[in-house]
Amino acid sequence: MKYLMLIYGNQEKWASIPAEEWPAAIAKQDAFNRKYQATGELIVAYGLADEVQAKLVRRENGQPAVTDGPYLETKEYIASFYLLDCESEERALQIAADMPWADVDPVEFWPIMHEAKPDL
Amino acid sequence: MSTGQGDVEDLLRELAPQVLAALVRRYGQFHLCEDASQEALLAAALQWPSGGRPENPRGWLITVASRRLMDQIRSEQSRRTREELIAIATPQSELLGPPADAEPADGDDSLALLFGCCHPDLSSPSQIALTLRAVGGLSTAQIAAAFGVPEATMAQRISRAKQTIGDSGFDFSLPAGAERTERLRAVLHVLYLIFNEGYTATDGDALTVPALAQEAIRLTRWLHWLLPDDGEVTGLLALMLLTDARRPARTRPDGSLVPLAEQDRQKWDQAQISEGIALISAALPHGEVGPYQLQAAIAAVHDEARTMADTDWPQILGLYDLLERIAPNPFTALNRAVAVAMVHGPDAGLEVIATLAAEKPMAQHHRLLAARAHMQELAGDTDAAAADYLDAARRATSLPERRYLALQATRLTRDGTVRPEGIMTRQARSAAGPASAADG
Repeated sequence: MKYLMLIYGNQEKWASIPAEEWPAAIAKQDAFNRKYQATGELIVAYGLADEVQAKLVRRENGQPAVTDGPYLETKEYIASFYLLDCESEERALQIAADMPWADVDPVEFWPIMHEAKPDL
Repeated sequence: MSTGQGDVEDLLRELAPQVLAALVRRYGQFHLCEDASQEALLAAALQWPSGGRPENPRGWLITVASRRLMDQIRSEQSRRTREELIAIATPQSELLGPPADAEPADGDDSLALLFGCCHPDLSSPSQIALTLRAVGGLSTAQIAAAFGVPEATMAQRISRAKQTIGDSGFDFSLPAGAERTERLRAVLHVLYLIFNEGYTATDGDALTVPALAQEAIRLTRWLHWLLPDDGEVTGLLALMLLTDARRPARTRPDGSLVPLAEQDRQKWDQAQISEGIALISAALPHGEVGPYQLQAAIAAVHDEARTMADTDWPQILGLYDLLERIAPNPFTALNRAVAVAMVHGPDAGLEVIATLAAEKPMAQHHRLLAARAHMQELAGDTDAAAADYLDAARRATSLPERRYLALQATRLTRDGTVRPEGIMTRQARSAAGPASAADG
């Protein structure tokens, strides 16, 4: 089964972390990524660019139309996403709880829909 | 692709586990042997279609693989010491050709290889991946495609699994007694999981996305050939054949699923059904009856019925009673509840479901909700049925199943009172396609 994990943040929150603490913070995340890539359970992990770089894309009269946005109503936006492939939901939840900052902020956890028929 | 090339591929897939097993038996070092036999198979795949097949394909592959293994070992460490070590470690008889009248001993080797791939130290996805690679002879790319993960992820998984086996020492002696039964159960479970994984809605190109159900049947057939007297191996093979026989009727041209009750039974593969019934009929009277044999027997009763109404539900209920006694499991209990409803009416089924719903892990499961909805509808309680279908649709994670359940909810509410707002937003989000069905 595949699962998506999302963590949220904003500039204000990141700016509050002292510069000298960043290397240790990044190392923590790298260690997590390496650990679960090695077990084959973490398929991808990516951080997203800042909110100001995000765009909205539509098609108008068959032509692409790109505008700024989204203008979020929530204070925090997606900071990074992780795609897991695990034996069970229990195991995936265990990995989510092992995320470096799960003790500070919750990790959003979404089972992914799939085409496979679940059983006989 | 010419038929000649297809024949070569089939032959190589068949020989792959034998070659690897022979190498591991002689030299140990599973990891190196696996690489070497893959290289030999690749060389054969390139050379045989044009250059012709050697007289003894198996011998050719083992010789080429052994040479590759030597090359690898030479490049790894000083040539002389390693070669001497291998020469010492190789029993003298292995260096000689087998006598012409000798029985090929590959059965045991290949079986040991299969047991090794299903080693209890490995996680279930690793067991599956390694079995498909080492015994099934599939490439890493093919296995990755079949499971919808990147090739790098699958390569890592396989490499870790090989390492684990290497660390714990690849035990090439077949376990005996109770341990053998235990390990064989693990092997059967892996084959069963591979078969189940094969139920994808789309049939991919066989070269890039192999049909896992077919692969599982091939491997189980081979295991049955090695262990013809094991009732559970026979039972599993029969279960796979009897279930797979319904494949042509199970999907619509658009890929959506058709439930058992609505399937066109003319499309069922009668040859496969006959084979499955013959297998299970031969296995059941002998020895201990296990869960695979019972599930095969249930599948056989379904397959023998010309229409849903002709189904011998009392017999199915009897088999579920037995199955629940020897292998209790919430899903068996749920299936039994459905059989109870078919034999004694929806109210009796709902009573059984009520006791199941009291247990936490099942209470909110979409299959329990779907079964309850079906019985409520039969009992005439349309509102409750629609609400349960709606809830079931929200909780299903398989797309075809969610579409089917959502359709049932809307079907019941179109002229009724419940507003399926939740369903519509959910459907829009998952870009739901045409209707499809759950069970089949």
